[in-house]
Amino acid sequence: TAGNKIFHFGACRVSMSMTEIRAGFTAIKTNIQSRDPIRSLSILSHPHSLHKVKSPDRCCITHHLFDFYVDKVFKHCKTEDSFVNRKISSIANSFLSLRRKLRQCHEQNNCVCGEESTEKLKQILANYEGLNVTSAAMKSLGELDILLDWME
Amino acid sequence: SGELYCSLPNPRNVHFESINMKNVLHWSAPAGTGNGVLYKVKYLVYGVGKWIRKPECRNINTTWCDLSSETSDYEEQYYASVKAFLNGMCSDWVETTRFNPLTDTKIDPPMISVSSTDNSISIILTAPEKWKRSPEEESISLLQVYPGLQYNVSVLNKKTKKRWLFSISNNTLVVPWLEPGTAYCVSAQIHVTTPLLDSGFSKEHCIATLKDK
Amino acid sequence: EALLPAPQNISILSTNMKHFLTWNPVIIHGETVRYSVEFQGEYERDYANESWIPISECSLTTATLCNVTEDISAPVAYRLCVRAQVGATRSPWGALQGFFNRATTSLTPPLLKVVADGYHLLVELEDLGPACQFHVLYWQKGQDSKVQQKVMKEVSSVAHLDTMEAGAEYCVKAQTHVEAINRSSSFSPTQCVRAQGDTSMWLV
Repeated sequence: TAGNKIFHFGACRVSMSMTEIRAGFTAIKTNIQSRDPIRSLSILSHPHSLHKVKSPDRCCITHHLFDFYVDKVFKHCKTEDSFVNRKISSIANSFLSLRRKLRQCHEQNNCVCGEESTEKLKQILANYEGLNVTSAAMKSLGELDILLDWME
Repeated sequence: SGELYCSLPNPRNVHFESINMKNVLHWSAPAGTGNGVLYKVKYLVYGVGKWIRKPECRNINTTWCDLSSETSDYEEQYYASVKAFLNGMCSDWVETTRFNPLTDTKIDPPMISVSSTDNSISIILTAPEKWKRSPEEESISLLQVYPGLQYNVSVLNKKTKKRWLFSISNNTLVVPWLEPGTAYCVSAQIHVTTPLLDSGFSKEHCIATLKDK
Repeated sequence: EALLPAPQNISILSTNMKHFLTWNPVIIHGETVRYSVEFQGEYERDYANESWIPISECSLTTATLCNVTEDISAPVAYRLCVRAQVGATRSPWGALQGFFNRATTSLTPPLLKVVADGYHLLVELEDLGPACQFHVLYWQKGQDSKVQQKVMKEVSSVAHLDTMEAGAEYCVKAQTHVEAINRSSSFSPTQCVRAQGDTSMWLV
């Protein structure tokens, strides 16, 4: 069931459910990842893994990654497959709602960006801009489970 | 050897079969080839992209290769690939889909131990361990890998044929106030909510409450 | 100039997080009228040029009802529309009035069956789908201040609630709860059952 959980991102506490996003992603994971032929580059997890991020920086990185996916990724992921497009819509709309919750932390100044998170975000954007838009967006969408696994 | 002529049909259905993060690559022989086909295996860490050969799976005639050791870091994701050889011919490399050990593994049912008094049964559940390289290596329970792990426990009264279901988060369950001298059969399942993973139900363990004194 | 009128009286029937779009049939004598449904979430409005997404299960359907549950799967405001088609002739799009947010779904209390099996209090609950779980409240009759609550997620068979004192009467009621929208239904009628044995057993 859509289990709400309290996520702790440093000082920021947010009640969210990732269940529907994960279900939507699982339904299209193989399809999306098969459109990404590049094995030697990861947008999110190399060279520095998200798992190395320290707790105080978690909120900033999560908040900016939500922005990254909403502003840069989803819009370039339209496919010829109606089922895939519907699941992407479901994920994108869920991201909007989660981003709103994280924004509250941002406004309460519980979401400060330290040097490490700024560096990590720069690396992610550099990885993204190293590819053409569609390939970069499709690769980022295919790595959604990396973000979900790290968040959960 | 010189460049081989790669017109052999490809290995089929190349995929990981993973149980408790014991990650074994499996495939089917190329169509229309009898015995004598040999295989090579390589793998890579997604995002690093350097294919690495698996020496123990070079020129093998089996259609599986254990890559548990190479894929044991479940914070990474992986690809693996297989190539077939026969009579001087070879196939193309055939890849798996991207393998995420954390979400793509299957979990065994929990181990159960049951004891009884005259009017109660006590159940202790043990989650399976993550695969490890050798018995000496430190054991990691899947409870540590999946902190949200819960148990569904089924208790069947063999006399009345009534089955009760319990959902518990800790690993012990005492069912008091039962009928003396009655057989109860217990089985249990692991339920993980994030990511969504369920084991099957375990084999039934039956025990009788002691007869009334 | 469209010969075919747009479908009218478009509305959403939403109960326990299952959402259905319905509309009045367009009647064209001697013709089979088919319908197509599309949806638009907040993301499509604000970030994807107000694009609409077709629902394939309800493309060129003759039904006047479409299950949109799988697509209304985020806590945002959605717009929905439907048009009619006869052969190559299409009507204008008819739109649902305003927006639909799944938080407005109506929630019904679950069907509840309470069973006393010896000293054990058991319940059977109707499965209302993956989005719904249940808050089950139970108490010993006469001790209304000591109400206990259990949250039940999966309901596949007879679920064990608690053990009972011999001969005591216990009462149970349940409500449907949806975490995704943080809302609950009203409670089901209370049901009471009595445990085996007589109360004097406890005085010894």
